[in-house]
Amino acid sequence: MTWVVWRQHRNQAYIAAAALAAFAVLMLVTGLQMASEYRSALGLCAASHSCSNLASTLNLENSAVSAVVTLTVVVPCLLGVFWGGPLVARECETGTSQFAWMQGISRTRWLAVTVGWTMLAAAAWGGAVSALVTWWSSPVNSLNLQNFQPSQFDIQGTVPMGYAVFAVALGIAAGALVRRTLPAMAITVVVFTLVRLLVSEDFRSHFITPVTKTLNFLLHARAILPTGSYWMVSSGLVGPSGPVRSGPLNGGPSLTFDGVPIPVSELPSACRTLLFQTSTKSASGFPSCLAAHGYHAVLSYQPADRYWAFQGIETGIFILLAAILIAVTAIVVRRRDA
Amino acid sequence: MASSNVDPIQTRGLSKRYRRVTALSDASIAVPEGRISALIGPNGAGKTTLLRLLAGLARPTGGEVAVLGSHPSQDSAFLADIGFLAQEIPLYRRFTAKDHIGIGAHLNARWDEASVVQRLATLGIPLGQRVGTLSGGQRAQLALALTLAKRPRLLLLDEPVAALDPLARRQFLAHLSEAVAGGGLTVVLSSHLIADLERICDHLILLAASRVQLCGDIDALLAEHQVLVGPAKDTTAIERDHTLVQAVRTARQATLLIRRNGPVIDPAYEASDVGLEELVLGYMGQPAGPTPKHLSAIGEDK
Repeated sequence: MTWVVWRQHRNQAYIAAAALAAFAVLMLVTGLQMASEYRSALGLCAASHSCSNLASTLNLENSAVSAVVTLTVVVPCLLGVFWGGPLVARECETGTSQFAWMQGISRTRWLAVTVGWTMLAAAAWGGAVSALVTWWSSPVNSLNLQNFQPSQFDIQGTVPMGYAVFAVALGIAAGALVRRTLPAMAITVVVFTLVRLLVSEDFRSHFITPVTKTLNFLLHARAILPTGSYWMVSSGLVGPSGPVRSGPLNGGPSLTFDGVPIPVSELPSACRTLLFQTSTKSASGFPSCLAAHGYHAVLSYQPADRYWAFQGIETGIFILLAAILIAVTAIVVRRRDA
Repeated sequence: MASSNVDPIQTRGLSKRYRRVTALSDASIAVPEGRISALIGPNGAGKTTLLRLLAGLARPTGGEVAVLGSHPSQDSAFLADIGFLAQEIPLYRRFTAKDHIGIGAHLNARWDEASVVQRLATLGIPLGQRVGTLSGGQRAQLALALTLAKRPRLLLLDEPVAALDPLARRQFLAHLSEAVAGGGLTVVLSSHLIADLERICDHLILLAASRVQLCGDIDALLAEHQVLVGPAKDTTAIERDHTLVQAVRTARQATLLIRRNGPVIDPAYEASDVGLEELVLGYMGQPAGPTPKHLSAIGEDK
């Protein structure tokens, strides 16, 4: 059966291998260059004791390569569409299921071996792309501390592997249900995107209860801000009468103060006037004024050391979803008329 | 025939309903071992459904079915004994004949590779060419050779010759007869081409309107039926003694196809034997089940 799976899918494997090889070359070449650039920049700034603001002065990334790296977010979806979608659907659509499923091998075994190898390939390809991106990003991660942010979190570590396994399982299940290749592909794109957005926008921040900190404006905020590549879940201003809505209100100007959005129009007028005075002395009086009027900031964030726990939880969720979809596929293929 | 042997195909009240359509209703058939059975019926009569139910590709919604002594299933033990060839000759169009032979070799415990290769060489079908570029006849021949290489005990063929020209059809049927002559193989073959079937089949399953109209040995069925030609008078007497299958009446003459229950003694009618085509067409003209009205009429008379 393994021979049959290879014969049926080897062209797809060749194409995917070629794409992966090209991507690996790009990552290796630009990654090595970037790493050495970062090392020499570190050496230079250490000599001049200016490493604390290296992040604002050094730009490591080539925008075209960065764009390619960002685009790897669609790799799992592509695998789902082109490997998963046609797997069962094309057999049903062309009628070859009546050939394959009438050979001397049970339908369950046919499905188990075909799905098994395809899922394994999806994990390998998703994992390989992610490993390359993770390695390539390591100087950028240590420089910009952005790897817990959704745009980076979704393309590094183990989660892309989980996404790939899920996408392929979704394609297979959709194909088994609708038995048409193109609709199965379309369903895969739509459902995959919705589930990914749902998890990253609504569920991820609650995997572990965020750490909450109250920022008193009397102190200099930087002293108690979290360190490293933390992920800020929410931040806002709390006044004497509860939370102050953030963002520009009534068309008024807004600003951020140590990462906390400050809705200027909602502030007491005494502090507002301080803010718009240009002299440095009165500007530094602004935080003290806020504190005196009973204002403080509340930060809610996921600390940097939770990064791998979050990667593990999210990968686990998608592998579990994939397992459910494969179980559904097995039931559908066994129960329904071929 | 050994009486201890169970018929390879036995069904009782077999039915298949799709959402709103009944594809097969109350089908009770038996096909003895070693026969080539012709499955005949108009389009939509349920031939494909019956074959798919026998192959285990579809599940019945009612009734019982036993194929080679067991319920059709997806087990490799059952599948190993069944050769099924669907109407659309489903093969992987981008694969070569050689690829298909490889698939068969890897998926079947019993696989007679030499016979396929030899068969294709005899027919001049190239091994290394994509199946999608072969002619319809070549594809059908390849599919039959692949199906036979499994060395099945039951062969189910759904209109395998429909797309073939007369020469290819003849080759295909010759190939089939040869395989059956080897022994141990039972075949059910559906087709519209009665003349072709008449040459190689010795058993008949006739379907019309999702029901089985006739099932049995062709010679016995032909012997049981007669065509009577006579005056267009009242046929009640005939209908009382025999089962009237079809009556074509003109102003002066009636042509009656009957299933005999004894000799026809009315001198007004001229009796003649029927051919397979006449028999089949007679029953296809029947809209409903096999003459229930007449049977109940006989019951009332007694």
